Amino acid sequence: MNTAMNSGKLHLVLFIATFAGVALSVSSWTRAAAVRLAETQGKAPEVATASASDMGYCSGELKVILKRVLTSCGLVAGGTSRGCQPLQARQVASMSGGDFNALFSPLADHAAIVQFDKDSADLDPAAAELIERSFADRRGASYFFVVSRASPEGSTEHNRDLSHRRGNAVLDHIRTKFQDPDIEQEVGLLWLGEEFAQLDQQFCQWRRSRTGDTCGSSELNRSSFIAWIDCRL
Amino acid sequence: MQSSENVQHEVGAASPRKTLILLAVFALAGVIFAGVSTYDFVAHLDRQVHAITCSIVPGLGPKDIAGESGCHTVLMSPYSSVLRDLTWGGIPIALPALGVFAFLLFRALDLILRKRMVRAETGFMVAATALPVLTSIAYAIVSATQIGTFCKVCVGVYTSSLGVFVAAIVAHLLTRPSDERKGGGLGQWAFQWVFYFVEGLAMVALPVLLYLAFKPAYADSLLHTSGLRHPEDKYGVMLDMHSRGQVPAVEVLDPLCPACKGFSDRLAASGLGDQLQIKFVLFPLDKECNWMVDTSLHPGACAVSEAVLCAGDRASKVLAWAFAHQDSLRARGGGSSHAVYEFIKQEFPDLAGCLGQPAVKAKVNKGLRWIVANSLPVLTPQLFVRDQKLPDEDTDLGLDYVLSRMLAQGAGESRK
Repeated sequence: MNTAMNSGKLHLVLFIATFAGVALSVSSWTRAAAVRLAETQGKAPEVATASASDMGYCSGELKVILKRVLTSCGLVAGGTSRGCQPLQARQVASMSGGDFNALFSPLADHAAIVQFDKDSADLDPAAAELIERSFADRRGASYFFVVSRASPEGSTEHNRDLSHRRGNAVLDHIRTKFQDPDIEQEVGLLWLGEEFAQLDQQFCQWRRSRTGDTCGSSELNRSSFIAWIDCRL
Repeated sequence: MQSSENVQHEVGAASPRKTLILLAVFALAGVIFAGVSTYDFVAHLDRQVHAITCSIVPGLGPKDIAGESGCHTVLMSPYSSVLRDLTWGGIPIALPALGVFAFLLFRALDLILRKRMVRAETGFMVAATALPVLTSIAYAIVSATQIGTFCKVCVGVYTSSLGVFVAAIVAHLLTRPSDERKGGGLGQWAFQWVFYFVEGLAMVALPVLLYLAFKPAYADSLLHTSGLRHPEDKYGVMLDMHSRGQVPAVEVLDPLCPACKGFSDRLAASGLGDQLQIKFVLFPLDKECNWMVDTSLHPGACAVSEAVLCAGDRASKVLAWAFAHQDSLRARGGGSSHAVYEFIKQEFPDLAGCLGQPAVKAKVNKGLRWIVANSLPVLTPQLFVRDQKLPDEDTDLGLDYVLSRMLAQGAGESRK
């Protein structure tokens, strides 16, 4: 009788001890989670938000000039015209041709120079391929610049028109190949003719569509300079 | 008389008692493994990310912080808990397992500390230990065939289950039948079995009830999330998977992100995915094409995204293949895109002419621009249902509960 009673007591003590161990563990774990949840409510998560890129070379000074150029060239909301003519470009940039070209020097790695035949605005296959590769290599950039030029042969008026046609040839090719709905807001055209910011020999080292040919000042300026600009304005 | 009976009992009970000690050790191991597993699951009820235990010797091995272990995969799988649509996260399977092993430990200690060993009691232990071993077999099969990986803590539970079962059988076989007749009639033992069963049920059910009583409540305000600023697909980057559902949804994913694969599996297992008409937007977290990440979280994801976009109507097939080969694709992506392209071309030779071309690279970029336009956080996966975001914290354990509420809420609003 005593043995049975002791067994019953032992049974009860063991049951309560085991059950209490499990119950206390589970309830403390769940309550701790509830406390932590209450503490984190309303706190903003520490996750980056997707945004366009803003590279290190986008200094405040550069952004001011870019904005001025982009607004005058019709890319930024409020702009009234589409594209910048030589005189406008010179005016809005408010700088010498050399300084204007220097603006683009940080882009040496991913800018390109699309070259044309003399007195021509037709794209050859190498030029078309270079445009496509450059435009596809956008990454987080916001604006695509097409800066067209002409070599000094011929009249100023003719060269102005020629560089305009070269810029349009590049833009038309991009429109055809990429069907980008934002193209009017992201591609900036500047046609400089022979009048402003002619490229000098140092640009021969940049990526060009005619690498096998000689690279004189004339060949270099029968061109459209193209580059994505990684600056948030 | 009592003395001679005790002597006879001691001689006959020596072996089963030792076996029951072994059973108690296995049951204690089961309590530890199931307890660790329950703890890791319960920790996630705060909707945050936690390191989890993934070692055959809990406490000794390093914890899984990156979420790359089999333990993490199993924990986040749809099989780690039940009744997920009724309560946030559901009831973890490890919790009743903890109760079962605790009960077995209690029964083993009870028998060990008694002077008399009766065969009917060891028979109950055989029956009781059959439950965890059968459950373990079922879950081992699920792990192998459905989840595709094993977790070390789960293997500890399987081993403990097998251990208690074998020890119970041996203890039963070693207990002398003559002792049973001294213990009372069949009716009395049937009553005892029912009593033990009720005790076992209580040991399992009451912790579950405590868990439900104390677990954090899910506030309705958490459902009020921001939507998409520009849901329109002006860039033509959304991939229509031709799903049969009626509710419009957009999922932002990275084809090489393990969490996206897990999310896809959970959505399919929940059955709620059938109600959605999902369109995908690719968000490769690979610096090869994505300027928003400094290091490639999923190297090779840009190349795989190109393949998915190149595939056109077969995008879902390429995506499923990428999910199935995430590890090897990421390993190749760590070297160069070229290695990833070659691997893709082996499986889908017809995509060779499209991969790496400017047109498809521009399309990947357009997808990223859609994400920028909507100011989304840089993480995957993200799901928008009827332009309302599924909270990022609810894409794993809370998916069934929160998504079912979002769908019900939307259905209610459309009826109004």
